[in-house]
Amino acid sequence: MNIEELIKIRDEYKPKLDRRMDRRPLTKDDTRKISIMMCRGSGCIASAGEENLYKIFDRVIKKHNLQDKVEVVPTGCQGLCEKGPIVVIHPGGTLYTRVQGKDIEEIIQKHVINKEIVERLLFFDPVKKRKVVSLYDMDFYAKQTRRVLHNNGLIDPMIIEDYIASEGYFALGKALQMGQEEVIEEVKKSGLRGRGGAGFPTGVKWSFAFKAKGNQKYIVCNADEGDPGAYMNRSELEGNPHAVLEGMAIAGYAIGASKGYIYVRAEYPLAVETLKVALDQARKYGFLGQNIFSTDFNFDIELFLGSGAFVCGEETALLASLEQKRGNPRPRPPFPANEGLFGKPTVINNVGTLSNIPLIIRNGASWWSSVGTEGTKGTKVFSLTGKINNTGLIEVPMGISLGEVVFDIGGGILNGKKFKAVQLGGPSGGCVPAEYLNMSIDYESLKEIGSMMGSGGMVVLDEDSCMVDTARFFLEFDKDESCGKCLPCRRGLPLMIDTLTKITEGKGKIEDLEALENLAKGIEKTALCALGQTAANPTLSTIRHFRDEYEAHIIDKVCPAGICAALFRTKCQNACPVNQDAPTYLALVKEGKFEEAYKVIRQTNPLPLVLGRVCNHPCESKCERGNLDEPIAIRHIKRFVADYAYANHFEYNPQSKQMRDERIAIVGSGPAGLSAAYDLVIDGYRVTIFEALPAAGGMLAVGIPEYRLPNSILNYEIEQIKKMGVEIKLNTHIETIEGLFSKGFKAVFLAIGAHGERKMDIPGENLEGVYWGVEFLRNANLGKQVELGKSVIVIGGGNSAMDCARVAKRMGADVRIVYRRERKDMPAIEEDIEAAEQEGIKIDCLSIPIGIMGDGKVSKVKCARMELREFDRSGRKKPYKIEGAEYVIEADAVIESIGQFPESDFLDDDKIKLAKNRTIVVDQRTLATNMEGVFAGGDAVSGPLTVIDAVAAGQRAVSSIKRYLRGEALGPIPEREDHERYQIPFAPDEDPQEKPRVKIKESDVEIRTANFQETTSNYSKEEAMEEAERCLRCDAELS
Amino acid sequence: MEKVSALTKDEIATIDNIIKSNRENPGQLVKVLQEIQSQLRYVPLEGQKLIADRLNVPISKVYGIVSFYNFFRLFPPGKHSVTACMGTACYVRGAKDILGEIRKKYKVEPGQTTVDRRFSLEVIRCLGCCAIGPVITVDGKVYGRMKPAKVKEVLEKYN
Repeated sequence: MNIEELIKIRDEYKPKLDRRMDRRPLTKDDTRKISIMMCRGSGCIASAGEENLYKIFDRVIKKHNLQDKVEVVPTGCQGLCEKGPIVVIHPGGTLYTRVQGKDIEEIIQKHVINKEIVERLLFFDPVKKRKVVSLYDMDFYAKQTRRVLHNNGLIDPMIIEDYIASEGYFALGKALQMGQEEVIEEVKKSGLRGRGGAGFPTGVKWSFAFKAKGNQKYIVCNADEGDPGAYMNRSELEGNPHAVLEGMAIAGYAIGASKGYIYVRAEYPLAVETLKVALDQARKYGFLGQNIFSTDFNFDIELFLGSGAFVCGEETALLASLEQKRGNPRPRPPFPANEGLFGKPTVINNVGTLSNIPLIIRNGASWWSSVGTEGTKGTKVFSLTGKINNTGLIEVPMGISLGEVVFDIGGGILNGKKFKAVQLGGPSGGCVPAEYLNMSIDYESLKEIGSMMGSGGMVVLDEDSCMVDTARFFLEFDKDESCGKCLPCRRGLPLMIDTLTKITEGKGKIEDLEALENLAKGIEKTALCALGQTAANPTLSTIRHFRDEYEAHIIDKVCPAGICAALFRTKCQNACPVNQDAPTYLALVKEGKFEEAYKVIRQTNPLPLVLGRVCNHPCESKCERGNLDEPIAIRHIKRFVADYAYANHFEYNPQSKQMRDERIAIVGSGPAGLSAAYDLVIDGYRVTIFEALPAAGGMLAVGIPEYRLPNSILNYEIEQIKKMGVEIKLNTHIETIEGLFSKGFKAVFLAIGAHGERKMDIPGENLEGVYWGVEFLRNANLGKQVELGKSVIVIGGGNSAMDCARVAKRMGADVRIVYRRERKDMPAIEEDIEAAEQEGIKIDCLSIPIGIMGDGKVSKVKCARMELREFDRSGRKKPYKIEGAEYVIEADAVIESIGQFPESDFLDDDKIKLAKNRTIVVDQRTLATNMEGVFAGGDAVSGPLTVIDAVAAGQRAVSSIKRYLRGEALGPIPEREDHERYQIPFAPDEDPQEKPRVKIKESDVEIRTANFQETTSNYSKEEAMEEAERCLRCDAELS
Repeated sequence: MEKVSALTKDEIATIDNIIKSNRENPGQLVKVLQEIQSQLRYVPLEGQKLIADRLNVPISKVYGIVSFYNFFRLFPPGKHSVTACMGTACYVRGAKDILGEIRKKYKVEPGQTTVDRRFSLEVIRCLGCCAIGPVITVDGKVYGRMKPAKVKEVLEKYN
C-alpha cells in the first residue's frame, strides 16, 4: 500500500459517501439513488427486539426489484438511541424513529417509490412540540459538532473502503512521512488531553514514552469502559473502529512501538466482533503488519478481552490484567511510560483519545484546536442518559454550557419533571446542580465545582432522584469493585456506606456529615489508586450542593424524592405536604366504604371539598401506577368522597379530647389559618380567626374563581370548622400583635396570605381599564361589576393569571395572555393552562408589555418580543428584550398578574422580621417568628404557593404552638396524631394489566365559558370504585 | 451454599483440551480460564485444582483470578442466565424496581439460581445500553425500557 493506491481507493468509493451527504430534500420526481442508513448500534439492535431489520429491508427491496435504486447500509450508533431503532434516509436526511419490521413495506412504498415522507415515523421534538422531517433541522444534531462521530451514520463500519473514502488512513500515511518527534509535537500543539477522564496531555505522555529507553515499547488502547451509564467507547468502536486502529498505529510510530493491545470489555460483544473484522481488513490492506506504507515501520494489534473488573480501567491494574494476573493496581511511579506492560515503556490511551489522533494529523493541530476553550481544546463525545428526553450519544465542542446540552440537545427532562443535577465522571465524579447550567464544560470549570470531565458519561437526575441514595449507590459500586489491596479503600468505603445507610434510614446525626467529609478526605489522600482516591467524590459533591437534602433526612426524617423506603409508607403519601393516607382511602373507596374514606381524609385534611377540586396533587406525580400507564386520579377520588359526604349529609368532625383555657389568635382565614384552627380546636384550644375581608376563606374565597371552586362548597367547609367551635371575626383589621396578647391570647398564628399585587412599573399603568389581578379576582368573586370591554390582555404566567384570563373570558371578553418566558416555564398548573387554551385564550409567549397606551382609557398595549439566553438559578432560560422587535396589540383592558406579596406592613410596629419581598421571616421548621409566641405560615411566609402547602403550614404551626404553650422546646418534626388505622387486606391474583385512568367529564367549552358554573364534573360511584381499583396498594406491599 | 462436586469425564476432557491448545502461549492463565468459562459456563473448584496442576501454578493464583473478575462463575448456572443492569443510567430510571420484581416473582437473589434451575440471576454494572434503560438481558439478548410489569412477560418466553 502506498499513498497513490490509497487515493485510488478513496476516489473510487467517494461518490457513494457524497450521495449519503446530499442534504437537498427529496422531491416528487427525484431520480437520485436512495441510501437507507440503518443504525446497527447496540441500543438500536436491542430496541429492534427479535427482528433483523436489515434482512427485512433487503427482502422488501428485492421484492420491489429496487436493488439498483436503493442501498441499505448498517451504520454505527447515530446518537438518538432513545428513539431507536433509527433509520436515516438520504438524500435529505429524513430520520425515522422506532422503526419496526412492519413499517418497512410502508417506508419502501411511500418514501422510496412515491417520494413521500412517512409522517407517523418522524421524530417529535419535545421542546418545539412538532414533528421534524430532516435530521439537519433537529436541535439534537444541529447543536453538535460531530468530528469523532462524523463517520457514525455515514459509513458501514464493517467496510474498510467506506472508511478510506472518508479520508481514512491518510493520517497514518502522512505521519509516516513525518519524523516521530514531529508527530508528537503536532499532538502536543493540538492541546489534546486524555479522554478517559483525567485529562493528561496526550502529546506529553507520548514524549515520555518516546524518550524512555527500551527496545520494545507498547501502545495499549483502554477500551475497558466500566463507567456505569456511559457508552461512548462502545459506540466509537462499533461505529468507526478503523479510527482507533489508525490512531494506535500513529501512536506506535511516534513512540517507537511495534505492538499494540486493545483491552476491551467482554460485555461488548458487538464491539469485539467489529474490531476483529476491522483488524483483518487493516492487515489485508497493509495498514497493520510489516513495512507499513512501504516504510520500515512494523506494527500490529492484538485484542484482549477484559473479564469484568471496573478497577482495570485504572492503567496499572489494566496492565496487570493484560499480563494475565489479578487486576490489582500498583503505586506510581514508575509510570507506565517508563515501566509499563511487561516492564516496558507503554502508552495507555483511551478509545476517545486515539479516535482524535487521525483528525489531528490529517487536518493539523490548528484546525483541531479551533474549537474549545483556552485550556480544553477540541470536541468531546458524551453519552447523555438518565431522566432526559433525547437520551443518546452526542459530540459537542468543549466549552459548551451544560444547559445547552441538557435542554437544547437533550430536549429537557422526561415527563416535564424538574431538573435536579447532572452526574459527570460516574463513580469518580461529582454532580452539577441547576445553579451551574451556564457553566462551560471544560476540565478546569468542572473540577472547580467538585465534579470532573470523566470519560463522558452524563447522567441526568430529576426530582425523583434522592441525592443521599445516589451517593450511596456510587459508594456501593466502588466498594464492590475495590480490589481490596489497600486499607483506606477496603475499610473506608464500607464505613462511609454505613453512615450513609444510617442517614437514609433516618438514624443519622448532623455530625455525621462532618465525619463523612473527614473520612472522604482521608481516603482521597491515602488510597493506592484512582478508584479509591476518587470514590468519595460523589458523596462530597452531593453534600456540597445538596446539603438541604441530607438535612431533610437527618433532621426532618424525610426523603423528599421518595426513594429512601425506611422513611415513608408510600410515595403518594410521602409527596403530600399533609401526609394524607391516600392508599387507605383509595382502598376504602374500592370497597364502597365511602364514609370511612371520608373519615380517613378528614383526619389530616380539614378541606376535602376544596382540595378535591383545586389541589395541585403532588401525590399523583409520584404515583407508582404512573410507571405502568397513568397515575391514579387521587384528587378526583378525593373529590368524589367529599362530594358524597356533602350530598348525603354525612359529617365527620373529630371531637375535642379535652377543653383547654388557652385562647389562640389566628390572623387570616385562608387555608393556612383554617387548617391551624381545625387542629387547635380538636386539641381543645379556644380559637379566634381575625379576617380583614368581608368573607372568610382568604384566597380560596377571593382568589379562586367560582367555576373552579363554588362559594357554596367553600362555605360549607368553613361552616363545619365553625361548628367545631372556631370563631371567625370578619371585617376585622389587626393593628398590632402586642394588642392581641394584651387581650389575653396566649399565642398568635399569622396566616395573612399574599394579597399585595406586584406591578410591572411601565408607562400607562394609571389609565382607566388597567386592573390588578388580585383585586380583579376579588371583585369578581365578591360579585362586583367589572367593565372590561371586548379585548383583554392578561400579563403573567402563574395560577392567578390563568384565573384572571378565564374569568375575563366568562365576562365575554376576547382574552390574550402575554408571558415573558416559554410556555413550559409557566408556573401555573398545567391543567389550568390547558383549560385556558381550550377555552380559546391565546398565549403570547416570549413577549413583555413595555407600555400601555390610550387617551385616558386603555386602547393599546405595546409589547416587545423576548429571546432566551443563559439559564437563571431556577434552571429556566432568562428572557431578554430583542431590540427593535416591538409590536402593538389593541386592547380595552389590561389585567396585570405577575406576582403577589404579603401585605405585612402592619407587622413593622411589632418589629416582626420581614424579608425584602415583605414575606415574614420564620424558622422554616418550627415556623416561629422573632417575636415570642408568634408563628407564621402559608403564602405570607413562602410567597404564593399552593393550597395544600398552606394547609400543611397551618398544621406545622399548631405543633409548635402546642409545644410552646406546654413550655417545651420547639422541635423540628411536627407532632402527628395517631389516627385510627384501617387494615384492608390486599391479595391480587394477577399482575396489573395496563388500564388508563377513568376520565372525568369536563363541560363543553361553549357552555362553560358562558357562565361561572363549575367546569369539571364528578365521578359516579361506579367510576370512583373502578378508578380506585387501579391502585397498586404500595402500602400493602411494603408492610 | 452449593455443594462442590467432582468433575465429570467430559468436563475433565474439555479442560485438558483447552490447556493443550494454549500450550504454545505460556502464562495465558486468564485466557485458559475464559475459554473454560465459555464452554462449561462456569469454572468448577475441582477444575481449578486441575488447571493449577497442569499449568504448574499455585491454586491460590487460579482462585485469585477466578474470584477477582466478575466474568467467572464458581457454580453451574441455571438453564437461562438473566442479568439485571444496575449501571447509573438504569438505576435512575428504576432498575431497582426491575431487580426487585425478578427477585420477588422468581424467588431468586443475585448470584443465585432458581430452585428449578431455570434461571440464574446476576447483577451487572453496565451493558452500555444506557439510553434505553432500564435493561435486562436473558441469555445475552438485551431487553430495553423495562417496567416491573413487563418482567414476567419477558422471562416467560424462556422455558
